[in-house]
Amino acid sequence: MVRVGFSRNVDSGTAAKECARPIREAGQATWAIAFCGGKHNHEAFLRGLRDELGDIPVVGGSAAGTITRAGTGYGGFETAVAGFLDPKDRPRIIATGRLATSEWDAGLELGEAVRKDAAEESTVLLFYSSVAATAPVRLHPGSPLVGGFYHGLGDRNLTLVGAGTLTDMNLSGSWLFDGTGLAAHSAVAVVMPPHLHAETAVLHGCVPVSSFMEITRIEGAEVYELDGRPAVQVLEEMLGVNLTSGQAQSPSLIATLGEKHGDRFGPYHEDAYVNRLILSANASTGSITLFEPDFKPGTIVQIMSRDNALMIESVRKGTAEIMRRTANRASKIALYIDCAGRASARSGAPVEEADVMLESFRSDVPLIGFYSGVEIAPINGQSRPLDWTAVLTVLYSEG
Amino acid sequence: MNPEVPTPVQDLGRELEFYRREYNDLGARVLRLQEEQSRAFREARRSRTVARLIREAYKLVDRTSSIDEVGALMLKIVVDNTICDRAAILKRAPDRERFIVTHTLGFGEEDPPDELVLPSPPSFYYTTSATRMEEPPARDLVRILRLPYLLWAFETESEYALIIGNRSEGNVNRPFEAGDRELIEGALSVYVDIVYRKRTEEDLRAAKREAESARAAQAAFLASLSHDLRTPLNAIIGFSEVIRDQLLGPDTQEKYREYATHIHESGTHLLSLINDILDLSKLEKQGSIPLQEEPFEIADVVHQALKDALPAAQEKGIAVEVSVPDQMPLLLADPRRIRQVIANLLSNATKFTPSGGKVALHTFVDDGRGLVIEVSDTGIGMASDDIPKALAPFGQIQNVYSRQHKGTGLGLPICKALVELHGGSLAIRSAPDQGTTVTIRLPASRLIEAAETGDPGSVL
Repeated sequence: MVRVGFSRNVDSGTAAKECARPIREAGQATWAIAFCGGKHNHEAFLRGLRDELGDIPVVGGSAAGTITRAGTGYGGFETAVAGFLDPKDRPRIIATGRLATSEWDAGLELGEAVRKDAAEESTVLLFYSSVAATAPVRLHPGSPLVGGFYHGLGDRNLTLVGAGTLTDMNLSGSWLFDGTGLAAHSAVAVVMPPHLHAETAVLHGCVPVSSFMEITRIEGAEVYELDGRPAVQVLEEMLGVNLTSGQAQSPSLIATLGEKHGDRFGPYHEDAYVNRLILSANASTGSITLFEPDFKPGTIVQIMSRDNALMIESVRKGTAEIMRRTANRASKIALYIDCAGRASARSGAPVEEADVMLESFRSDVPLIGFYSGVEIAPINGQSRPLDWTAVLTVLYSEG
Repeated sequence: MNPEVPTPVQDLGRELEFYRREYNDLGARVLRLQEEQSRAFREARRSRTVARLIREAYKLVDRTSSIDEVGALMLKIVVDNTICDRAAILKRAPDRERFIVTHTLGFGEEDPPDELVLPSPPSFYYTTSATRMEEPPARDLVRILRLPYLLWAFETESEYALIIGNRSEGNVNRPFEAGDRELIEGALSVYVDIVYRKRTEEDLRAAKREAESARAAQAAFLASLSHDLRTPLNAIIGFSEVIRDQLLGPDTQEKYREYATHIHESGTHLLSLINDILDLSKLEKQGSIPLQEEPFEIADVVHQALKDALPAAQEKGIAVEVSVPDQMPLLLADPRRIRQVIANLLSNATKFTPSGGKVALHTFVDDGRGLVIEVSDTGIGMASDDIPKALAPFGQIQNVYSRQHKGTGLGLPICKALVELHGGSLAIRSAPDQGTTVTIRLPASRLIEAAETGDPGSVL
């Protein structure tokens, strides 16, 4: 059994108490997933949670906002906790603090540890703190973390779903609840027991608005040239705006770069694309900085437009699809990992897509969600970090 | 091969280039339209945010019990709707040099500021990276939230201000801009409106409490009054019956004289009580009683009043000290009423001072500010909370201690009203077991130099 609590109390201890109440009323939780708005004192929140629920493992972290049936928002004081009461559902939790030195090494450490313990086809939740530095903003890229994880995992086959945590939509910071306490520059892998499986839907909302272009010069996440021309110039010509003026909107609000997987000339299908948000545009170098450094020289990309109508449509279709796939399953909990950029305040969408999901999804399954920096979900059989997506995962038990 | 005729492959290449160019152009248009649409939605969202914020804020009218609670919840609504990092409510201090920070939100473990020196509120209402932050008032303003990007509103009438701030300029999606004025001013005006409503509610509740208390006091007064009237009347009737019916026989003249004295004392007390009630009634109903003003020697009136009070003081062994300087100007006032006031104050001082204590009366001219008559004692005193009760009609009736002493308890309210009728003031300083000092001030315009009596008078 899983119970979910929600609060938007401005006092961190009281928020924890309010979140814990429905869980405590149902019984003794054995572990919990918790997300805490960025304006809170995360230490006080965690302490408050432990006061109420006992000294149980808590995983999760900061959130730009939280999503539950009891309330949704991203003002900074929203908190949500899912308490798992059945001792059989207790996972193995592996944490690493090596994110600060090397994302790959952190992933490798987790992957190797998971390989030793996890049963074949297990489900693993992976959370990590997204923000590496704030002035200027630098993120811990998810792709080397996930790459290292798979490398350490070897030939084991499992489902990996996760997220990078954020304190707010402005990438001001990030915290992680790693199962033992509060941590920064850390990652945690939550290996679910073998009887718990996952169905996942990735919800998109971007359409290509350019022909194919080749990345002709890239260093890490810094794209210098597209088809041999400065990347900023290419984008500015498309958008008709000056991206590098101080007053310009964040480029992440306008367009993404998308890589199409599978048949490049096949019909459009949203699941075929991996999109990368643009963190910043740099006037001096003519380059753009992506959220992830996983594109290489020679990667063929398209400029993608974020389409709010398509986003809502994708949420409806994806939610319906996952309900169809889990219709006859004993669903434990639904986890909704939602890119903070999809929130109406940032995307300009006329409705909150999280509300659309909540209205569409079955109400008899406990649900906890949060606004994240990066989402991790399977694309073409292997998970990778995604931008501007929402990932709806339902954990269900078998046997 | 004719070089001017393109080959099918060349045609295909040109066609591909054509479609590619057209696709990119169409794509660019789609992108711009999408961006326009998003911008329009964000603008619409701002209007919705203003409407939602105001709607949510007005619910506080019913959900809150105190003004302080309104401020805290208001900031929660503001932060939730604007998605800002920090917010604060400020109130301009009476010195108009500072703003007092009344409520804050978003400071976490950091201590928010208590106040800000800001003599003139800024004319601008938001800051961006183009604002010259190093110069006042922007420099001062950013100290409130300790954040650079601010949106601010100040209402001159209520002197309340609301400020929200962000760490990053493009918070969530964009910098603050002119269109945000509606939001911040709307939020502030709703807050001020709710504060005024709450204040009115609190005033109404206080007035209701006061009215209920006054009704209770009046009922207690009537009960006490009937007792006070009945006691001397019973004495009068009882003793006069004894005398009329010669119940003690014909040869007890001494006893009958004693009874006649009791009857006289009771009659006199009854007369004094009725006079007090009549005075109070006139003051309560008409707001005034006619004054028969004339210039007189202050010392004369003081000594007449002293004559009334001295026997009781001597009887209790209380020392009485009087000081009236020579060369005092004449006082233009109603001498009968001034004597009544002084006598009453001396009587009260004697009544509430235990044996062996001291009562003092000092009169002097306070340079240019009129005449001061000060009556002090070393008596039981009273708590500062009880002073307004003692000055209010019926108020003293509720004082348990005062009921242990003779009198209607109407003296002080009457004294105060009489002094105020003369354009003066009556103030009390007192503390339990420390004694009491009553200070009467009469305006300088009522003082006339003795040498100039008969002239229009030289005002000190």
